[in-house]
Amino acid sequence: MAINIVIFGSLTDITGSTLQLENIADTNALVSELNNRYPVLVNSKFMIAVNKKMIDTNTPLNNNDTIALLPPFSGG
Amino acid sequence: MERKPKNIFVQGAIEAVFIADSIQKHSSKTNIGGHSIFLGQVRADKIDEKEVVAIEYTAYEEMALEKMHVIREEIFAKYNLTCMHVHHSLGKVSAGEICLFVFTSSAHRKAAMEACNELVERIKAELPIWGKELFADESHQWKINQ
Repeated sequence: MAINIVIFGSLTDITGSTLQLENIADTNALVSELNNRYPVLVNSKFMIAVNKKMIDTNTPLNNNDTIALLPPFSGG
Repeated sequence: MERKPKNIFVQGAIEAVFIADSIQKHSSKTNIGGHSIFLGQVRADKIDEKEVVAIEYTAYEEMALEKMHVIREEIFAKYNLTCMHVHHSLGKVSAGEICLFVFTSSAHRKAAMEACNELVERIKAELPIWGKELFADESHQWKINQ
């Protein structure tokens, strides 16, 4: 199972702007995998959107879901 | 009235002539009695002796447009507006140039002024847009909204 991750703002300095990960069951597993790969992410504040909907609890991920990592917004 | 999601994004700075044209276009709408306009301008902040020369904006565009559509509907429901226009830059905008243009109109001034204010606050807080502050030596830092 592959999930596509798009990354924005300050987080792109750490991870680049896209990632593809395999075998990630849910968003909690995603966060631990990301922290594993990019230890500095632990200190970064961000929200997760699954298929453009912001989530605030652990959410199961399905094949071809699009996940976005969103640091605090700074438009305007 | 059902409204379709509009594209708010403009590549680069928002030109003064675009703003002037936008004002001019409303002269045929004679039920309007007041406009309110907010213009966001890129500030040349100084950080540790280095000056911001430009901000480069990126956005999660699809999500931002969906969210802006919801905000637009809520603002129209809350205030008695004749019309509402929002334009936000993407890409590089130099210090002194305009990066955000919010324009509301109503029969009487209060609705336009209050709606414009609320729109600016919600755009800054709720739209997935990020500003990267660029310095002359090509280093950068990520903008934090106050």
